[in-house]
Amino acid sequence: MPGRDYLGEFEHIVVLALMRLADRAYGVTVRQEIEFRTKREVSIGAIYATLDRLEVKGYVRSRLGEPTPERGGRSKRFFHVTAQGVAAVTRTQHAVQSMSEGLDLGFIRSYS
Amino acid sequence: MTSQAYLGQPPHLAVWFINLFTAHQNAESIFGDLLEEYSYLASKSGVTFARRWYWRQTVKTIAHLFGSGYRAARWSTTAAAVGGFLLHRFVSGLAHKLLSAVTDRYLAFWSTHFNAYLWVLKGMMPAHLIASLCVGCVTALAARGREMVATITLALVLCALIGSAMVWVATHLPGGIVGSCGHSLIRSRSLLAGQSSERVDRLR
Repeated sequence: MPGRDYLGEFEHIVVLALMRLADRAYGVTVRQEIEFRTKREVSIGAIYATLDRLEVKGYVRSRLGEPTPERGGRSKRFFHVTAQGVAAVTRTQHAVQSMSEGLDLGFIRSYS
Repeated sequence: MTSQAYLGQPPHLAVWFINLFTAHQNAESIFGDLLEEYSYLASKSGVTFARRWYWRQTVKTIAHLFGSGYRAARWSTTAAAVGGFLLHRFVSGLAHKLLSAVTDRYLAFWSTHFNAYLWVLKGMMPAHLIASLCVGCVTALAARGREMVATITLALVLCALIGSAMVWVATHLPGGIVGSCGHSLIRSRSLLAGQSSERVDRLR
């Protein structure tokens, strides 16, 4: 139902990256933060496709920064998480926690 | 020695490919982000490494932009692709009908000028290519903002149909006809070329 959605796996990761980076969150820093923490290579296209989707849902907002010479005179697009976005992350975290509660994840790993 | 200006130039072809798939509101930030990281990698790990990284990003970015572009406007993209497919069928049929009409009308002339008739038949191939280019342009115009997604969907559908036809022909009929299916594959690529020219023209 609208407004009660859970975040997808990658959406969840992207929103957490935005929260970590706070006012430094734009394409490059978000991509590098995710790569650094998850140890997986992420494309800039995946970041923007996810951020666009989150923006449509109202979970993030964006604003354009000043153009810089190292970017060929192009502006950075900064993102921040909205209150709705924070609520969606909390909801998703709670769902994951309640689903994994009481499970011995170490046992599951060795079993599989 | 590599100059700073050279370090700052990512592969032009990769930039062109991304440009075809990027929505206008994202183009500035995506190109800026890629250029920023490319310049950093080129100065830190060398131009070759940076170019390889840029190409890897290009392929993955295009795949994501294609997928998200289709999901964002599933119905309008499908409608544009279906419309393009029907238009392609109509235009191809029209060319054949025109040829039949001309040959029937001037039957006496063709029987005495058989070489001219062969040239007309050969002219059908470029005519089909031009028709496919036009269909690509029309489909791109219909799917404004999602040109690449619509025309690639249409080209993939045509390629799948042609591929199935080739398999059927290869298993049921003797060789020789497969060549004509190859022409059809070239025509589906013309669709994309038509779309690209329309988009590049619009971006100017």
